[in-house]
Amino acid sequence: MSTLRKKARITSVVAGIGIVAVLAAGCSRGGGGGDSSDGPADASPGITDTSITLGITTPLSGATAGPGTCTVAGITAYFGAKNAEGGIEFGDGKTREVKINALDDAYDPQKALANFQQLEGEAFLMTSGLGTPTNRAYREAAIADEVPQVLIQTGDPIFSNTEESPWQLGFVPIYQNEGAAFGELLASSTEDHKVAILSQNDDYGEGYVEGFKEAIEGADNIEIVDELTYEATDTDVNAQLTELAATDADVFFNAMSITPLVISSLLKTQELGWLPSWFLPSNTSSPGAILTPGNAVAFPGIYTVAFAQSASAPTFAESEEGAAFLSNLAEYADYPDVPAFPHCVWSYQIGATLEQVFAKMTEPTRDDFMEQLRTIKGFTAPLMLEGASIDTTEDGQPAISGVTVQKYNGKGYATAETFG
Amino acid sequence: MAQAAGLKNNKWVRLAGILIVVVLLAVAPLILPEFANQTVARIGVFAVAVLGLNVVMGYTGQVSLGQIFFVGVGAYVTAYGVNNDWNIVLVFLLAILIPGIAGLFVALAAARLGGLAIAMVTIALPIVGVPLAKRLSEFTGGSQGTSARFSDAPEWTGLFDDQWQLYIVIVIGAATFLLTRNLVRGKYGRAFGIVKSNEAVASSMGISPYRYKVLAFTIASLIGGVAGFLYMVVVQYTSPETMSFGHSITLLASMVIGGAGSIIGSLLGGAYYVLAPQLTNLIDPNLTAALQGAILLLILFVLPGGLVSLPRLWRRKRRGARPGDPAQTGTVPTSPPPAPQNTQSEERGT
Repeated sequence: MSTLRKKARITSVVAGIGIVAVLAAGCSRGGGGGDSSDGPADASPGITDTSITLGITTPLSGATAGPGTCTVAGITAYFGAKNAEGGIEFGDGKTREVKINALDDAYDPQKALANFQQLEGEAFLMTSGLGTPTNRAYREAAIADEVPQVLIQTGDPIFSNTEESPWQLGFVPIYQNEGAAFGELLASSTEDHKVAILSQNDDYGEGYVEGFKEAIEGADNIEIVDELTYEATDTDVNAQLTELAATDADVFFNAMSITPLVISSLLKTQELGWLPSWFLPSNTSSPGAILTPGNAVAFPGIYTVAFAQSASAPTFAESEEGAAFLSNLAEYADYPDVPAFPHCVWSYQIGATLEQVFAKMTEPTRDDFMEQLRTIKGFTAPLMLEGASIDTTEDGQPAISGVTVQKYNGKGYATAETFG
Repeated sequence: MAQAAGLKNNKWVRLAGILIVVVLLAVAPLILPEFANQTVARIGVFAVAVLGLNVVMGYTGQVSLGQIFFVGVGAYVTAYGVNNDWNIVLVFLLAILIPGIAGLFVALAAARLGGLAIAMVTIALPIVGVPLAKRLSEFTGGSQGTSARFSDAPEWTGLFDDQWQLYIVIVIGAATFLLTRNLVRGKYGRAFGIVKSNEAVASSMGISPYRYKVLAFTIASLIGGVAGFLYMVVVQYTSPETMSFGHSITLLASMVIGGAGSIIGSLLGGAYYVLAPQLTNLIDPNLTAALQGAILLLILFVLPGGLVSLPRLWRRKRRGARPGDPAQTGTVPTSPPPAPQNTQSEERGT
């Protein structure tokens, strides 16, 4: 008898919980996704009449924390200074304060997606984040939820293809742009050149070689004498270098992304007595970290490409823009040192580019933002090299596609107008 | 206390408890906000991965540092199958079977070795896995990774994507947990336990330590494959980064923090894996690694048995405050694996 009564009681409790739960379920999600703030009725999330919030997911811990921290510091410094001046004036006549909400993804795609999901309700747009897999991890979710994922720091071309990625736009040049810039310079040379190519066997290496080959197509003075690849996991490329040295090419196009491997290649080539002119990608051409230990002065020329000034250059702090950048970085981003990674300057420029778009926005919506984003042309962001500019109007290209070829002069880089 | 213990062992109370959990799981996805659903779904994914690790480490006592490799293989198989329009049930089965077969082969070799040598062999898995995934770009999409959107909610359900995905995770995850619970509480679980505590004794009882180590390892990789499939349900993208070695260590830490050799501990471990980065991000995104280290140390100092031992600690403390309590001599499990003791007390209760 008592068991029966207990059973009945338990059943009623369970039923009660169930009913309450179903009722609650009926009430929730009633408003759908319409999470509009107290601004105009159609305002997107993350923007009010007085402020706008930008979301960033980027590696702030782990192996890529160095550049990752820079991707937040630069843009924080830029908007920190602008906020201190009173805010950013938008195209709708309102002045808004720019808030930045940055989260750490430790270069883990799964965490990047989690961060995006956390931020998408409070941030107007996602920007500046570093990394191909991490940005790819939430690309489709951003498209599905119509959240802008713009001016991100990856050389992956997929983000600059409007058909595949309608809510995305890359900031930094894609790999093809870099290879092509060097190819064009070489093709314009008055002499004949024999080129040996070594590239990393993945999308990175392939991108550089593709761009380079397209640029020298039809140039009679250029001959590719040998082309080899290596794996990103290889610990040395001595075999490839020995084979390439035998061709006696006078130009060595080396699309290599691994710092210690570049240094050992520089040294090994000298040991072999092969002294060509080099091309190196922008991320593995640092004078202090790579060329000096590799004794690069032994070669007739080391070329790379760049679009932004290097903060470690001796003249940088003396220029007006450079000094402002460094003081903003220290004051607003808690980054007192001279940054060793270019990403600080890049994310500072991302801030300046966003300001241009904000000035054109007449409605506080993500749709209007994307429309205006694709109209920036010929804008020279702070700390850009001469000749480089922001152009977001060209489909298939990131915001910066024009890069300048630079030649190593024993201390730093100077713009190279001609080859040789 | 004695009354409470009696209440706990009552069949109807337990049945009601299970019912409440089932109802909650069924209704929660409808009530919770989107981000909570997404977070719970991710917890489910990694709870399953930790559960697999628990079978081989917590229950059988063999150090495995390669669990993330099997999760990654499961995810890649899922992505490849979905992108080639294979039947989703077939994809699911392959996503379990292929990591399982890989695990079996590794185990056949590794289980011959004793102690730390197994750990060394399993370290190799994620270290080989990342470059392998980059090189086999026809199948894996190379270093750019591959995405597969197959878990969006179908029209007829009227559900949001996050709700639908959470339901998939709950159904598959709950089935995996239930099957594993039955496994470790039955004959095999006892065999695992003996292999863990003393291989010589196991041999003398007619239990082949080699065979049971291989079995545990294979089951762990099968469960890893399930977690890989669920990973694709929730994240819809995988890349070589997914199976990076660091994640294997985090999984291991999550297992210890949740509670080694415990089913509930696996769930708590999954929660730690997902929530620790999210919480530390809220405190200070620049200090996530340091804060996670601090949390790990703190939990292990206060609760060496993992989060699952929290109620036990609390109970012991209460009893300590009231010496002479008759319940002190009760059947409270104090050391893992608690499974056999629990079953006994449950049987006595009915």
